[in-house]
Amino acid sequence: MKPSVIKNPRMDRLYNLLMPLLAALAALAVGAVMLLLLGVDPVVAYSALLEGAFGSKNALADTLVKATPLLLVGVGICIAFRGGVVNIGGEGQLVVGAVASTLVGLSFPEASGWVVIPLALLAGFLAGAIWGGIPGVLKAYFNVNEILSTIMMNQIAVQGMNFLLRGPMIDPVQLQAASRIPQTARLSRLFDLPRLVPTRLHLGTALAVLVAILVFILLWRTIIGYRIRAVGLNPHASRYAGIHVQRYLVLALLLSGALGGLAGAVQVYGVHHRMFTDGSATGFTGSAGFNGIVAALFGQLHPLGTIPAAFLFGALLVGANAMQRAVQVPSALITALNGLLVVFVVSTDLWRRRLQHKQLSETLREEISQVKEVKATP
Amino acid sequence: MNDAEFVRMMASIILASSPLIIAVCGETITERAGVVNLSLDGTMLMAAMTGFVMGLKTENVWLGFLAGAIVGAVFGAIVAYGSISLGKSQVAVGFVLTLLGDDLSAFLGQNFTRIPGQVVKHLGIPLLKDIPIIGPIFFNQDMVVYFSYILIIVTWWFISRTQPGLHLRSSGERPEAAFARGVNVRRVRYLYTMLGGALVGIAGAAYSLDVKIGWSEGATRGLGWIALAIVIFGGWSPVRGALGAILFGATKAVATILQRTFPEISVVAFNAIPWVLMLAVLFVVGSDVTERLIEFMPKRLQPPLRRMLRITAPLALGSSIAEE
Repeated sequence: MKPSVIKNPRMDRLYNLLMPLLAALAALAVGAVMLLLLGVDPVVAYSALLEGAFGSKNALADTLVKATPLLLVGVGICIAFRGGVVNIGGEGQLVVGAVASTLVGLSFPEASGWVVIPLALLAGFLAGAIWGGIPGVLKAYFNVNEILSTIMMNQIAVQGMNFLLRGPMIDPVQLQAASRIPQTARLSRLFDLPRLVPTRLHLGTALAVLVAILVFILLWRTIIGYRIRAVGLNPHASRYAGIHVQRYLVLALLLSGALGGLAGAVQVYGVHHRMFTDGSATGFTGSAGFNGIVAALFGQLHPLGTIPAAFLFGALLVGANAMQRAVQVPSALITALNGLLVVFVVSTDLWRRRLQHKQLSETLREEISQVKEVKATP
Repeated sequence: MNDAEFVRMMASIILASSPLIIAVCGETITERAGVVNLSLDGTMLMAAMTGFVMGLKTENVWLGFLAGAIVGAVFGAIVAYGSISLGKSQVAVGFVLTLLGDDLSAFLGQNFTRIPGQVVKHLGIPLLKDIPIIGPIFFNQDMVVYFSYILIIVTWWFISRTQPGLHLRSSGERPEAAFARGVNVRRVRYLYTMLGGALVGIAGAAYSLDVKIGWSEGATRGLGWIALAIVIFGGWSPVRGALGAILFGATKAVATILQRTFPEISVVAFNAIPWVLMLAVLFVVGSDVTERLIEFMPKRLQPPLRRMLRITAPLALGSSIAEE
């Protein structure tokens, strides 16, 4: 029998690791052509990218900081997708989580960081849970398509944020100024998430990794997680098995949203230390709510696989900025490169699955023919 | 508000709804064949950009529409390839394409932002446009609007009254049965995903060449999602979908007027109205509440009401087809 990938678990795991990297290389190759067309030496550009993402302690810290919200959102996405629901509301959940946690920080300016930070993270978590839970309830009990409702919830969150930041929550200093930049006051320095090493790296990154591990345990080592996955695989069979399908649908979206909200809180307390808006969601989130979905898909919808995936995307985002500064390419090229990477990653995944499928059917065919041979020889 | 103002507002609602109607008809065709093309938002952005640039370069507005249609068909083909041939989740493929379309249109169109280009010419229909009130609202428009009228009727007729339309529906409802009856389900799904995508592309081009003239980064962002919601609101019927599109246009117009009347209320409240309304509508058409309300109605009214209000998705929507 021919050696096949599917028969050899170690090879298969190697494949899983290599394919996304190959995809990234393919995307970078296309990007190189685009750079050449713009009259830029791709070698110079890409070495700037690598340097920017991994070149120094600070660069590496920036990459990790950038990867943190992607990881949190991505792990949430894993829960939702495993539960058979699609959550495209990461952006909105980030925004409400950030707003709620900022409100906590602004309300208790005199309190100790030991009290406020956990409270604020909890507030972000809960706000995200509500923002994800609403589409969950609508889906489970009122048959509303969750893709659309999460998108609408994004829009509603953005409008709410704009309202709050231009009015009730605006920095009193901005109220005096003529320009009135829509942002809150800076939160007390006591509330900054502790830095791990003397860089921009903050505790939120460690928290995100911890959350990823916890979610892995939840999904694969507890009854609740088993039920979430069962509902995702086959709701009808789950119902026959006595699982309350609707409840677990809501739970999957709720947890997914909660992690998005937590990501928002971490962004506020770890990075920005205030809330601001440019009128759209991306101004604050940097599209982390969307890129997190991509990181999750990249990580095979597995919480632990999402950790390296988020890291890679963080590196790309940070490195791309450095590249843009170094060789003066239009920023739109970076976003295009990002989009290309996503497409390549997803398509290699398709290719891999197809390969597996083919090999599986080949193996089956061989086995069947062997069985036939056995039967034929008396 | 006087009569002339009212007529002008209604006419602008009809104009603003026409690209949405075209996109809704396209996506309705695709979804009735059993495929969810989630990439609408990205497709429309790419098509709006391509259509605008093509119109600018060739100085022919119709070539712009053609380019938009081709872009849409290509996006549709990718969704079809990913979901039908590779058996990947339609949602994932479509979502990734949404992001790509957004990014790529921003990159490729960066040199064409905020410059004047080709515009669809106004064209009143003689005689019809002189009918009081109705004339100026519906028939004193341009070709895009007339195309949307024709498209509603043709789509409805094609889906529910023709043999290929039956094959289309059977592929979306019971692909196995359709296959057993000799329908090439894969080919049907490919065809209508691309056709629907082409219509969505035309809708995108209609924005940059007619309704929101010109191109800037993210010019039509969000409208693709609205179109997707309206397809559901329309219960996968082109006629109801078109009404939904006009209703959406009307709420936006009303929000604008209210905003002018009550300047003390924040702008964002009005910006949020269409979205909240959409969510509420999805809630109403999907929930049991509607069914319970219908049961209170006189017996004779129940079936037509149910037909008007209730929605049922094509049974095999979003599913992959088993390997023949």
